[in-house]
Amino acid sequence: MQNRRRIWIALAIIGLVILVPATAQISAEMVMDQVYTRPSGQDMQATLHMTITNSRGSTRERSIVQFRKDDGEVEKKIMFFTSPADVRNTSFLSFSYADGRRDDQWIYLPALGRVRRIASDKTNDSFMGSDFTYEDMGARHPSEDTHTLLREENLDGWDVYVIESTPVEPNNEYVKTRNWIIKDEWIGLRKEFIGADGSVVRRLSIESYEKIDSIWVITDMTMNNLAKNTSTRISMEDVSFNNELRDAFFSERQMSRGPRL
Amino acid sequence: MRRIAMKKHRILVLTMILACSASAFAMDVDIRGMLRSYTGLAFSDAAITANEQTVDLTLEGWGDQTRLVVNPYAYIGIGNEPEMGIREAYVDFFLDNADIRVGKQAVMWGQAEGAFITDIVSPRDMRSFILADFREIRKGIPAVKADYFTGPFTFEGIWIPQFVPSSMPAEDSIWQRAIPFPSGTPISFTEPSLHFENSEVFGKIRYFGPRISWEVMGGYAWTDEPFVTRVNINPDSDPTIESIDVNYGRYTVLGGSFSTSVGTTVIRGEAAAYLNKPFTVGELTSPASVTSKEFHQVQSLIGIDWSLFGMDMSAQYILAYIHNHEQGIMEQFRAVPEFGHTVTFRVQKTLLDDRLTAKVFSYLEIDPMNALVRPSLSWNIEDGVILEGGAELFFGDEDGMFGYYHDNSMVYASLRWYF
Repeated sequence: MQNRRRIWIALAIIGLVILVPATAQISAEMVMDQVYTRPSGQDMQATLHMTITNSRGSTRERSIVQFRKDDGEVEKKIMFFTSPADVRNTSFLSFSYADGRRDDQWIYLPALGRVRRIASDKTNDSFMGSDFTYEDMGARHPSEDTHTLLREENLDGWDVYVIESTPVEPNNEYVKTRNWIIKDEWIGLRKEFIGADGSVVRRLSIESYEKIDSIWVITDMTMNNLAKNTSTRISMEDVSFNNELRDAFFSERQMSRGPRL
Repeated sequence: MRRIAMKKHRILVLTMILACSASAFAMDVDIRGMLRSYTGLAFSDAAITANEQTVDLTLEGWGDQTRLVVNPYAYIGIGNEPEMGIREAYVDFFLDNADIRVGKQAVMWGQAEGAFITDIVSPRDMRSFILADFREIRKGIPAVKADYFTGPFTFEGIWIPQFVPSSMPAEDSIWQRAIPFPSGTPISFTEPSLHFENSEVFGKIRYFGPRISWEVMGGYAWTDEPFVTRVNINPDSDPTIESIDVNYGRYTVLGGSFSTSVGTTVIRGEAAAYLNKPFTVGELTSPASVTSKEFHQVQSLIGIDWSLFGMDMSAQYILAYIHNHEQGIMEQFRAVPEFGHTVTFRVQKTLLDDRLTAKVFSYLEIDPMNALVRPSLSWNIEDGVILEGGAELFFGDEDGMFGYYHDNSMVYASLRWYF
């Protein structure tokens, strides 16, 4: 009886020895889930400075004050455009849903003096004339793509996973993306958008990131549009988390009032 | 002339006092504004129909729980006396669950684009017909506005102690509809006096939700545009018209609006019933018959917004109905049918990294068939500097709201500089 027990224990140990390396091999889905669920605070606020450079090298500047709150089911985001002067005091409110429902979006234009609901199929449209799209400005849910772990390598001194993601729904701009994700930190260090002909259409490079309030934040990034030879750099400052923003902040009232708390 | 100078002086002094107050008491002051040069050229005779220079300033001062906004402007047009004024000058008080705004303010309500259905709180500046910028077409009114917020609901009340009429085109303006009376006929205006019982009140309940937003409104208002109540005939020298009495009248309004999205399409609706609204009634060929009478009028709108091939599109259908309609009902000397049908359509596309915007907005009145088509191209030369060119094209039956101005079709160019 005791011998039989010993045999079972031995088999269990052998099984563990065999299985552990297999389970330690992280899947592409797990990597992208880790990126998506990386702690980002209950709420966040920041000032974004956007520099848009065209193919001739001339630049345009945009400034935005952004607030975000996520309760796990709905991510609420409100952006106040503070410059240039012709768009100052314009604000944009969006609700994004974890269950995959289409976003709800509103815009406040000072010239109209009222808040208007807007159609939300602008995901691939340029955000404020930049090289970022509206989709780039939010977090894409991992279930919207299928993922493949291509390789592990070293990039800028970091050990990274290279993940290839293919949209479940066809995308008219790119057929897949490649993401360089830092191991154990779950920050994307680079992202490439691959067109139908296999060439890189756009490339997102992370210039700097830091821990603020114990949360990793990308504070400087550049999107290069290789097809158009243009680029947009976004730098963030005055970043803070967990400011206990009320739900009422993400409202028509605040859109017309501006970014003051 | 001296009165105008005095008025300007007073405006300037008031602006300076408000500006100084903001600097002295508010923690933070922001000044922004816009300069605009606008020139229009008529198709019919190549005459320059508009040559306007506008300066529009906004001074905003912030305290901990208050905000001061002053919006003075100066304007010079063709052959016009330079005009200076204050479009808005108000103070906001921000409480936890309520906002109170006191002072001269423009109020914009409703969901309609280019139509005024529940958006009747502020009178309009119609001196350029409906071609003025969206914001500038609404006049500021002295009012107290209070909003109370509870969850997704907002309760809003507005009290307007002093009646302010819409500004109508001058007699020599190309936008003045011909008055069907002999030139020089004395017109006697009667404006409501400054008395508590002549004040206007409006109220609104608004729900702001992710699936649908709606509002229900009501009010006790004045007609902002005047109507003829009587044509006085001299019986001794038939058929001489001695004078015309023009008045403003009371009516009650009840209405509402909503917006929701279905897939990637936004659906908007708005409707209002104007109860016992006074209109001019009679035959202009028989001036003695002209009088005024009250009718119930309904205006409603359904609109959709969608995107197609990267273009923003919008279409609206507007239905106007007069209950117990009679022949001879007029509004601004234009016959008002029992049923009026108007369609609007907008298509807009931004190109070249948002630097170029192409837009066409058009109104089409079905009966009589006439239209206003407004194509434009605006080029963002650099941040805050916009060059725009476009046309205002009036077509169709001259009895229509737009066809009447077919001689006013024009091209224009404008340069705006925001700071």
